[in-house]
Amino acid sequence: MNWTEIVTLLSAGIAMGLGAIGSGIGEGFAAGKAVEATSRQPGVSDKIMKTMLIGQAVAESTGIYSLVVALLLLFAAPKEAGLIKAMALLGAGFSMGLGAIGPGLGEGYAAGKGVEGIGRNPHEEGNIFRVMLIGQAVSESTGIYSLVVALLLIFVV
Amino acid sequence: MHEVGVVQTASFDLGPLHIVFNPVTLIMTWIVIALILITFVWLSRKMRQVPGRRQAAVEMVMEMFDGLVKETIGKDSRRYLPLILTIFIFVLFSNWVGIVPFMQEPTKDLNTPLGLAVIVFFVTHFSGIKYNGLFRYIKSFFEPIPFLFPLNVVGEIGKFVSLFFRLFGNIFGGSVIIWVAYTMLMSSWWTSWILVVLGPFLAGFFGLFVGLIQAFVFMMLSMTYIAVAKNQ
Repeated sequence: MNWTEIVTLLSAGIAMGLGAIGSGIGEGFAAGKAVEATSRQPGVSDKIMKTMLIGQAVAESTGIYSLVVALLLLFAAPKEAGLIKAMALLGAGFSMGLGAIGPGLGEGYAAGKGVEGIGRNPHEEGNIFRVMLIGQAVSESTGIYSLVVALLLIFVV
Repeated sequence: MHEVGVVQTASFDLGPLHIVFNPVTLIMTWIVIALILITFVWLSRKMRQVPGRRQAAVEMVMEMFDGLVKETIGKDSRRYLPLILTIFIFVLFSNWVGIVPFMQEPTKDLNTPLGLAVIVFFVTHFSGIKYNGLFRYIKSFFEPIPFLFPLNVVGEIGKFVSLFFRLFGNIFGGSVIIWVAYTMLMSSWWTSWILVVLGPFLAGFFGLFVGLIQAFVFMMLSMTYIAVAKNQ
């Protein structure tokens, strides 16, 4: 086993390990807020459940990017390469792993507040849902930039 | 399925030009266009004053989108309705066509989302100039203080970069995960049985669910960008 392969394996672990932090906390926050909103307004639990699931699915996307980068590092990255390429592969893991923390937390926070808002004012479900989705999409931008840099480091450098 | 992360390209020389194109993406885009045409011609056949079941379903969808566009864009919303609805339907069908075996999503190739984002970019800035006048439009880049101009320009470009990379990243990510699951589980006969359960689940989540969410997000963000430039 040469050491490019060792770096690739380490990098895949870093990408998924750090990338799971943000989405995990964010989705947990959304679930907690959903429980709170259901206890306040049990009659609209189906609306709350729907918003929670979609909000969580969007908050999970940076975690999915981390998984994609980890899988690409394991299966599609070159096995034999020079020092610079090996360091680029390590950088790809750090880029996606650290970059996924912020958007995961932020999107989960938005999902939690959206669910809380529906629990407080169920008639405005459509508006709250739309604002939540757009806000989440914008706060995901930095995670997308991390993904782009990671893909460039894997395939282009 | 071929090697992951590699887009098949073909190229030819036309005089001094070296032209590169992606045949798989081109063919799949035409298939998607044909599917959309067939579906909507079939749905809107034999239109009546009193709608039948099919016509009523399409009318309901149209009315929903009409209301959504009117609420977001405001004045002259009907001018933008065809564009917004076309973006949504095209992206939705492009994302969903990937669940059919041997078919690839056109949105998996970076060029398709990039093309859509370029359209939205030009429509956004054209409406900004048209509804506010050239002077007020340029002035908006120097607000709130003049030396923020570079930051405003970078922010404006970043909006569209994240718009098309979001769609590409989600669809490409889903296809990578499905590819890895299939190649790992198909390697021996006793693990390939897991695919009977896992395959439909993966296709349903990454194909149907993520495809619908991302089509909606792409449409909503395009509409919001246009509305912000138009009504500033």
